[in-house]
Amino acid sequence: MRLLPPRNPLKRDEALSPAFLSAVRGLGPGSVSSVLKVALDVAYVLLALITGVLLLLLLAAIFIPLDNLNVTVSGDSGGRQLPLTRMLLLFGLGAITAYFGGFMLILRSLRRIFRTLTIGDPFHPDNVRRLRQIGLTLAVVTGGVWLAQGFVAARLAPGVMEPQGIGELLTPIFSVLIVFVLAEVFREGARLRRESELTI
Amino acid sequence: MAIRVQLDRVLVERRMSLTELADRVGVTVANLSILKTGKARAVRFSTLDALCRELECQPGDLLAHEPGPAEFPEDDEAA
Repeated sequence: MRLLPPRNPLKRDEALSPAFLSAVRGLGPGSVSSVLKVALDVAYVLLALITGVLLLLLLAAIFIPLDNLNVTVSGDSGGRQLPLTRMLLLFGLGAITAYFGGFMLILRSLRRIFRTLTIGDPFHPDNVRRLRQIGLTLAVVTGGVWLAQGFVAARLAPGVMEPQGIGELLTPIFSVLIVFVLAEVFREGARLRRESELTI
Repeated sequence: MAIRVQLDRVLVERRMSLTELADRVGVTVANLSILKTGKARAVRFSTLDALCRELECQPGDLLAHEPGPAEFPEDDEAA
């Protein structure tokens, strides 16, 4: 009498047996999960392309000649001209690359978590680590954005661009908290999975 | 573990191999091995029922209780 498809629980980090996969795989087309999967794949490809292009631009920015190029910073109350130094260009491109790259990393972890879901093993212990990585990356990216905008507003465009207050950080902080709480939930799920593996 | 599984002894008495028992009961050899070596955390009644049926014995022939503190192998998934 077989209640669960066969699986070798002592080798829990190895691939699951084909019998198990065929018994459990199957998120039907049109389900929420398959929409999510398509969204994740599309977003990942787009971000990968954008990050790749930005990296190339960043590399090029180290070498291209920059004679007498100016950047205009304008807002509602008028503007000013800034000379386009190499440092400024590298800072700008680097910040944007880091932004998109960070989200690409988050998506990569998210897709791996989703893959464990499609094979029927969502509470794999690796998912705890992946969720924490997502939380950390999110915190760094959103914190970095806030800091960069503060820097630009204070040093590069004073009077034209307003520095953002703490209130702008509220949503990112909540998002990071949610991710870390979910990581703890998945840790408990991994413990239950282990228990059920050792239930013969 | 405070509950000891005496599968070895009953298998010898019935002259059955672990593989054959696994086939008859519908559990993998790996899982039966986990049971036999005392690494299992729990046994389903359905599995116990199938074991007793194939080995023609009572649950008490398969399981023994050793008084004293229960020792569980440490989970290596703690944070």
